Amino acid sequence: MSSSVTPARSRVPRLAEAAVARARLTVVPRHTNRATRVPFLALVSLLLVGGVAGLLLFNTSLQQASFTATALEQRANMLDAKAQALQMQLARLQAPQRLAERAKHLGMVPPSNPAFLRLSDGAVLGKPQPAGTTEDFRITPPPVGKPADLRPAPIVVTVPPSTGDTTPGSPDEHASAGRKKADQHTQPQGSAH
Amino acid sequence: MTRSRRPDPRRPARRRRRSLRSLRGASLLRLRIGFVLIAMVVSVFAVRLFELQGLDAKAYAARAQAEGLVHITLPAKRGTVTDRNGVPLAESVNGEMVVADPTLTAKHAPAIATILAHRLHLDYFDMLERLQAPNTQFQYLARRVPAADARGVVKAIDAQGFAGVTTRRDPIRDYPAHDVAANIVGFMNDQNQPGDGEELVFDSWLTGKNGRATYTESGGNRIPLGDNSVIPPKPGRDLTLTIDRDVQWYAQRALADAVRGSNADSGSAVVMDTHTGQLLALADYPTYDPNAFTAADPDNLGSRAVRDVYEPGSVEKVLTTSALIDAGKVTPRTKIVVPPFVRSSDRIIHDDVAHGTWHLTLTGVLAKSSNIGTVLADRQFKPRQLYDYLRKFGLGEPTNLGINGESAGVLPSWRGWRQINQDNIAFGQGVAVSAVQMAAAVNTIANGGVYVSPSIVKGRAVTSDGRVVGSATQSRHRVISAKAAKEEAKMMVAVTGDGGTGPMAAIPGYLVAGKTGTAERVNQQCHCYDGTHTVSFIGFAPADKPRFLVYVVVQHPRNGGFGGNTAGPVFRRVMTYLLQKYGVPPTGARPPKTPLEW
Repeated sequence: MSSSVTPARSRVPRLAEAAVARARLTVVPRHTNRATRVPFLALVSLLLVGGVAGLLLFNTSLQQASFTATALEQRANMLDAKAQALQMQLARLQAPQRLAERAKHLGMVPPSNPAFLRLSDGAVLGKPQPAGTTEDFRITPPPVGKPADLRPAPIVVTVPPSTGDTTPGSPDEHASAGRKKADQHTQPQGSAH
Repeated sequence: MTRSRRPDPRRPARRRRRSLRSLRGASLLRLRIGFVLIAMVVSVFAVRLFELQGLDAKAYAARAQAEGLVHITLPAKRGTVTDRNGVPLAESVNGEMVVADPTLTAKHAPAIATILAHRLHLDYFDMLERLQAPNTQFQYLARRVPAADARGVVKAIDAQGFAGVTTRRDPIRDYPAHDVAANIVGFMNDQNQPGDGEELVFDSWLTGKNGRATYTESGGNRIPLGDNSVIPPKPGRDLTLTIDRDVQWYAQRALADAVRGSNADSGSAVVMDTHTGQLLALADYPTYDPNAFTAADPDNLGSRAVRDVYEPGSVEKVLTTSALIDAGKVTPRTKIVVPPFVRSSDRIIHDDVAHGTWHLTLTGVLAKSSNIGTVLADRQFKPRQLYDYLRKFGLGEPTNLGINGESAGVLPSWRGWRQINQDNIAFGQGVAVSAVQMAAAVNTIANGGVYVSPSIVKGRAVTSDGRVVGSATQSRHRVISAKAAKEEAKMMVAVTGDGGTGPMAAIPGYLVAGKTGTAERVNQQCHCYDGTHTVSFIGFAPADKPRFLVYVVVQHPRNGGFGGNTAGPVFRRVMTYLLQKYGVPPTGARPPKTPLEW
């Protein structure tokens, strides 16, 4: 088929070739704007890299803050516990029993009779008497008696009399035996305390 | 046929091999087999996916979330019990128990025990034993250690490279003043449950509400954007008592000295602000140390002053005579002939001291504490009149203080009274009171004839069983006229004066109104009077402008003592301390000159 067409075409006379050529529509070469894409790409990648890095940094700083928060919290707890322990110690030091014992130790005694000095005219109200030992009384409570359950009968360990043939051997051996005996004696007492 | 049947051993084999070779060569078939295999694998995945996502997706999601999720309880702090000035009597401190796993600690026991002994002052040998306990992975080393100390010692042990010693939460309830007000405050037991006293009565008031925290954790740190919710704990409310810790301490020691000095069974002392009815001290002896409650005798727990009832004896004469004055039956100068004894029903009533016929005024009857004189004066009352007065004085009903185990006392109904009953009750036998009841009753005289219900809780607080108590809820009512109260107070001054039974309670420079009491005690076994006594002294000062009332009761002194010389000195000591501490100068009034005899 192609072989039949070609001769027909070739038969067409070539008239005004230039005009024909001018009239023939041809594809206009695309006008490409060769504006550089580099800044845009750079911006996008900068945003991308910046975003990722920022996120990473933000996350890291959050994590860091979390570590700090934990550490500070632990420290606050510790300090709070310490403050409470000190508060407790202070309250015990302020207990009236302790203060009274210290005052007594310094030689102070309770007043025997209340008397007052009126500052406006210097009048003495009441009958002042020298503080003596008459008002003094025992301020230490007696040792607390323990209930029977906590007062086990003392365990008496009878040590067999040492036979004569145990010559004083090495001092070490002797000492350890002595300590063992002492332990046996003290143990029941210790548990009764 | 036979030929065709005969198998050629070579040809068919060759054909099969050829067909296999052709099959293998077919790409389509290879593809199909591949597809089937892939489909099989994918369907396995699909089934598993359906199982995970379709069947119990929620459970798995929850498990995934729970991974790394931490739930902790934020413990609420228990309220503090303080005295009237805010000084703590019971306070909660963060505490921890130190525990050991002996399977880990046994090897290094001596070194660990040394650290424990040094830093926590524990017994070295005891620690050694516990650190090496066989067949266990749990041993207490120390309990209720302040958190800072406990963590410090574990840190020190860890630093040495020893494992197996850890801490756990173990809150401390500390009682810094030890036995001071222990009878009122009570204690928390080792399970951290209230054991007695206000700790028990106001448990729901003092207990806070625990909080909760939920967060995701990794390596001990919170994950910043993970789940995180905190419900903060609600701390318990504080409880303020009307007690003054220093007065309480002084009263306890003065009372203890008297009880021990007279070799008595026990004693109580009540200190009351006359106008407000607030108890400044409520001392009992013997008592206990709530920091070591396990060593306490169970009998010593609680407050005897509100729990134990006893026959008040002559102190009651104050109520009887003031009622008689109020009713207009007698005056302080009424002359009474007091015979050596008086018959009553089928009994005979004596005085403490044998005497001939006395000619006493009513003031003299009170000053010398004559039973017979009181009975003769009281016989002007009908049973119901005396009963009504005593009820108005608060006898026979609990004071609703807000202390556990409070007794109502015993005041038998007037309907069943015979002559002997009324006569006995007139001088304080056959009627039973608690120390707080009696103090509140006599305080009516000090407060100008108006009864004020006593209180031990400052402000108001709600008990665990829903009762509202405290100084803000107290009630007042008039019992006797102001004039009768004043006259009675004057008569009571004679008790501490010359010729009275209580000169040892007098404070030079002050007018002190008082009354001694020596009553026969009922034995709980035989329900009879066994010859033992309850001795007491009640009084207030300054008599003409009262500020404080002090009541001291000592049960069964074995030195033959009576109210004036056993309880009287305690009264004087405590009252002296009060007047000086609160700066109450003497009023300068002269003692009344009402004659005791005629």
